[in-house]
Amino acid sequence: MEKFREKFIEEANDLINELEKLLLDIEGNQDNPDLIQQIFRVMHSLKGGSSMFGFNKMDKFTHHLENIYDLIRNKKLKINEEILDITLASVDHLRNLVHEGEDADTQNQEQHDLLLSKILQLIDENVVIDETSPTIQETDSRDIEDEATYYISFKPHANIFKFGTNPLYLIDELCEIGPTKVFVRTDELPEFDTINNTECHLYWDIFLVTNLGINTIGEVFIFADEQCDLSIHKISDINLLEEESFLGIIDETIKNQKEIDINQLKQLTNDLEKVFVKAQEDQTKQTINFSTIDANISSIRVSSEKLDNLINWVSELVTIQARLSLFAQETETNGLTPISEEVEKISRRLRDDVFSIRLIPIENMITRFQRLVRELSQELNKDVVFKTEGTETELDKNIIEALADPLLHIIRNSLDHGIETTDERQINGKPKRATILLKAFYSGTNVIIQISDDGKGIDPEKIRNQAILKGIITSDSELNKKDTFDLLFQPGFSTTQKVTKVSGRGVGMDVVKRKIAEIRGEVDIDSEINEGTTITIRLPLTLSIIDGLLVQIGTTKFVIPLSSVYKCYEFKHETLANSINNLIRTDNQEIAYLNLRELFEIEGDAPETEHVVAVQFGDTRIGLSVDNIIGQYQAVLKPLGKLYKKQQTISGATILGDGTVALVMDSNKLINQFANNQIKVGG
Amino acid sequence: MGKKILIVDDSESIREVVSFTLENAGHEVLKGVDGEDALQYLDGSNLDLIITDLHMPNMDGIEFIKSVRKIDEYQFVPILFLTTESQTAKKMEAKDAGATGWIIKPFIPEKLLAAINKVVR
Repeated sequence: MEKFREKFIEEANDLINELEKLLLDIEGNQDNPDLIQQIFRVMHSLKGGSSMFGFNKMDKFTHHLENIYDLIRNKKLKINEEILDITLASVDHLRNLVHEGEDADTQNQEQHDLLLSKILQLIDENVVIDETSPTIQETDSRDIEDEATYYISFKPHANIFKFGTNPLYLIDELCEIGPTKVFVRTDELPEFDTINNTECHLYWDIFLVTNLGINTIGEVFIFADEQCDLSIHKISDINLLEEESFLGIIDETIKNQKEIDINQLKQLTNDLEKVFVKAQEDQTKQTINFSTIDANISSIRVSSEKLDNLINWVSELVTIQARLSLFAQETETNGLTPISEEVEKISRRLRDDVFSIRLIPIENMITRFQRLVRELSQELNKDVVFKTEGTETELDKNIIEALADPLLHIIRNSLDHGIETTDERQINGKPKRATILLKAFYSGTNVIIQISDDGKGIDPEKIRNQAILKGIITSDSELNKKDTFDLLFQPGFSTTQKVTKVSGRGVGMDVVKRKIAEIRGEVDIDSEINEGTTITIRLPLTLSIIDGLLVQIGTTKFVIPLSSVYKCYEFKHETLANSINNLIRTDNQEIAYLNLRELFEIEGDAPETEHVVAVQFGDTRIGLSVDNIIGQYQAVLKPLGKLYKKQQTISGATILGDGTVALVMDSNKLINQFANNQIKVGG
Repeated sequence: MGKKILIVDDSESIREVVSFTLENAGHEVLKGVDGEDALQYLDGSNLDLIITDLHMPNMDGIEFIKSVRKIDEYQFVPILFLTTESQTAKKMEAKDAGATGWIIKPFIPEKLLAAINKVVR
């Protein structure tokens, strides 16, 4: 190549000398088109050669210079002294470039930049922007459009080879433009022994994705378009070649159909686009959603003290609002009722919003459990995977904090006692890897958390024997399955003979139950031998406000949590007084009831008509007799104070609208505590 | 198998590069300095391919291609033109004159040979 380079330098010298001579000739002869044409040609040769032999500066320089003379040639620019001056200066510069090489000294570079800017200025000033003027355009620039998918139907005529065109090279060229999917069609091939190998009987369906536009594709076929049937269609604004479903459909179509119907194709891509675009949008939307959630979590940081204060004030507001409602009802002042109703509505919303601030997703404590399972399963040499469901379920922050320990205990138990060793599992035909699943979901005003494992389960017989051994039940006790499992929550109960350091002697379950009860929750165990154990925890959404049913016994008012109320009945006092074993018949069903007046030792006589509120207690319903039902009430729970800490039946007090105090019953504990005195639960 | 190829370019260096590349690839090369000069090689030389520049003195590439196509035996001989321009308009002009395809300058030897292989068998 060096040899040719030298040759080019020689040649360039000649060309530059020729150019100089032509320029001097034209000085007094400015309208001679032949001279202009010659100047243009010489520059063109210089340009071609310099680009060929790596004189990049010269290539660029002559390119712009050439443009000026192209304009003059096409009568878009009139030659003048200024142009000639610049061109002559350029000639000297070109000579320098050739002789001293392109990386010459700074002076050279300055001259280069100066001349180039003058040339460009000349072009700028004199060019009426004319899109069709080809020389102005950068030679290599192709219009960049948005990426799109094109369909090209290319059907060469049988005699295409005669014109020196090889269809495969055209397809090669297409493939250089962008990603392609090429289908060759062979259905027009004649019988093998009649094939004339100078004729082409193949044709092609090509799908091409490019951002260079349809013209670029068309150019490939410039020299073949008379020897083929060609159609190029833009079929989509997205890259269909990346869509499996599109390729699948096209594959099918081409197998079954001779020709692709462009209308059908466009219809298809139209339909597909909607799906793809939607899918993409969904994806973007999702990402956006995620980011906003993240932003929210990170943007609010309030001390829990402030939050507690806010909640206190809202609680006060709810209380005062109840008073306002009551006052409005009693005074019948015109216009007061609508105002009080409005205040009620707003405070209810305010309450909901404020309380929702305290709600945090269970997610927040999951990591701890994951770590526990990971570390403990290694320690115990068991293969366990911890899965979660519904961790976005939200609970009051205080509940979550109080819940962590009991849950840790449950999971620890499950790992230690519930899940078998890998060998055991294999013998029993179970998957080698055990699963512990933590599932959370809403159920009415409660949140349910379930922890289930696929371990060996608990044998009710064993529990029974153990309980008899420990003197918790007598050998003649008849217990259903649920009651049997409930024995596990009795203090000091353990089914495992071995004591392990992981979960101790199983002492924990009664503690678990107590801790969950502290946050007004309930816990249940269900288990199938060899299938696993499920522990269900039922929790209230928040701790400090409950929706309740306000009832009255004598002059004392009580609130029964609405979540446990099933139905209210009316009975004559005599009917209740004469019932045997505190059983009353209603809705074709006998239910047991507790006489609260008696239990709470409230003085005075019951009214003629009494009410029985049926509440859910485990799987059964128990009636609570009261004098009167006042109505639904939002109770802001206030603690009862130290002196009453030990009693369990009343979970708190609340201040009513008229300023008096109502006691909030814990129906479950109440029934638990008094059931055996008056009735037989579950009997 | 070597082909007989005519290269027409007013620049000697280009002619040399092209012929050097082609001869190395086993082809026989004839050289013309412009269209007018090149026409003399057409008679009886059984060319397989013609490569021509577009801008040349005396007879430019377009004229040259037109003249070639007027000769019966050269009706289907592939003609490639060398160009620094990639505008469609110029390509169309050359095509209408009878060109088979083009090679964009600057080219490297591999590109040149690949382009040639596309049109000669």
